Amino acid sequence: MEIMEGGIDKINLITKRDVERKLELQKRKEDKSNLAADNEKLGYFEKTFANKRTHIENLLMHSNTIEKHVLPDHFNDISKEILLLQKYVANSNIFLRSYDIKKCQESIQELTNKLKELEDELLPKKKFGFKNRTKPKVNNKKLERDEVDFHGKVTVVAKQTCGFSNRVGEILEIGGDEIFKKDVTVENLENCKVKILGCPSTLHLSYLKNCYIFAGPVSTSIFAENCTDCTLVIACQQLRLHASKNVNIYLHVTSRAIMEDCHSIFLAPYNLKYDGLDNDFKKSGLDKHCNNWKCVDDFNWLNVDKPSPNWSLLDEKNIVDYWGNL
Amino acid sequence: MGFLTVLKKMKQKEKEMRILMLGLDNAGKTTILKRFNGEPIDTISPTLGFNIKTLEHRGFTLNLWDVGGQKSLRSYWRNYFECTDGLIWVVDSADKRRLEDCRAELHVLLQEERLAGATLLVFANKQDLPGACTPEELKEILELDQIRTHHWQIAKCSAVTGENLLKGMDWLIDDIAARIFTLD
Ligand SMILES: Nc1nc2c(ncn2[C@@H]2O[C@H](COP(=O)(O)OP(=O)(O)OP(=O)(O)O)[C@@H](O)[C@H]2O)c(=O)[nH]1
Ligand SMILES: [Mg+2]
Repeated sequence: MEIMEGGIDKINLITKRDVERKLELQKRKEDKSNLAADNEKLGYFEKTFANKRTHIENLLMHSNTIEKHVLPDHFNDISKEILLLQKYVANSNIFLRSYDIKKCQESIQELTNKLKELEDELLPKKKFGFKNRTKPKVNNKKLERDEVDFHGKVTVVAKQTCGFSNRVGEILEIGGDEIFKKDVTVENLENCKVKILGCPSTLHLSYLKNCYIFAGPVSTSIFAENCTDCTLVIACQQLRLHASKNVNIYLHVTSRAIMEDCHSIFLAPYNLKYDGLDNDFKKSGLDKHCNNWKCVDDFNWLNVDKPSPNWSLLDEKNIVDYWGNL
Repeated sequence: MGFLTVLKKMKQKEKEMRILMLGLDNAGKTTILKRFNGEPIDTISPTLGFNIKTLEHRGFTLNLWDVGGQKSLRSYWRNYFECTDGLIWVVDSADKRRLEDCRAELHVLLQEERLAGATLLVFANKQDLPGACTPEELKEILELDQIRTHHWQIAKCSAVTGENLLKGMDWLIDDIAARIFTLD
């Protein structure tokens, strides 16, 4: 029996070798014809590319003989031609070697630079200035100051927003229609208590130190960053917490909470109570009965086997269950 | 038959486009994707990784790639660049604090060789929020006028109300179609 088996093994081995040998031969043959096809394609590509390039160069060269009022169109056409050429290279990536691609990109860059030079020379742009801007209705004073301060960087236009900023040791309150479907921003506060009783569309919390935030249901996301030693009692569709530490969060979240660059974050279920809370839930569109407060994705801890060391559930005995008469 | 004719025929037959959606976290990429596809938008979580949707629109097959925008995910964006026909850059028009970040990330992206030739649509999202920047303001803040390497367009929209989403997409699709299905 053993010999038989050995014999079969041998036959198998030989057959296998033969098959492998034939496959190898076939592969070599294919490689050869592939190479030929590649070379053919490469030749075709090079010719087409060179033709297109010459065409664009000619267009560029003729720019200064063209009447001014049709120049913008002329430059647009060239710009399109260059893009087309670029796409051609991108589409041919499959068979181009990286050296070829690099060479092509360099040519395209050269053409682009030439186009820009010519444009600057023949079609000098109106200087960009803040004066041309349509001024927003609010805060003209701020805008004027920006104009003076303007050093080539655009300063963000001050717009009407609701919320609070730059306060120390205050009790702050906002709510109702004033915030309904709005973007509420709370920033740069220290030792403050903030009540946001109503349903804004979104809420931004940034640079808070030693603060309490009480908020009604927020229709979309809460974006919180740089919060230290805070307590947040909040409800939302998404919570996005960044660069924060020592924060207790009493949370209602209907999809998920995520954190990035945070540590010492403690979670408990949302337990805010105020007159009109149920109605606010309805107005916000959040499902009061769907709360995923325990579902937190830590983007610095993408290890599914072990829980993130950056957050945990708040110890039962430390849970505050009544926040006073809001 | 020359290579280009073959390529053209191939793409024309499939009428397929690959569209990549990028932007800072919280911009509304996934919400736009789901809204566009007629799915509910209230259960969307922040994206840990990416979503792909293949959908038929106006006779085209769109492969939409939506990649998470958290800081820790941005270095992975480049894994999705290959063969992109269209790039949708989604902006939270109301988040003024991060527009500078948004500008910087966009311009770095546009330097990318593998995105060369892709059509760029900037979606000025969250226009339903009072105080959102207008597309004109965003054009300046994001320095869109400096873009010479891509066909681009900025369109205001709101993924929550659905406003203008289709119009923006249609511009993108038309621009791509004009380019890749009529190459000669
Ligand atoms: N008000 C308003 N909120 C929006 C709009 N679009 C999206 N949102 C909200 O913004 C939050 C973030 O939306 P997502 O779609 O998760 O954002 P994303 O860009 O995919 O974020 P990442 O996955 O982290 O990259 C959600 O709570 C959405 O409901 C909009 O047009 N208006
Ligand atoms: Mg997402």
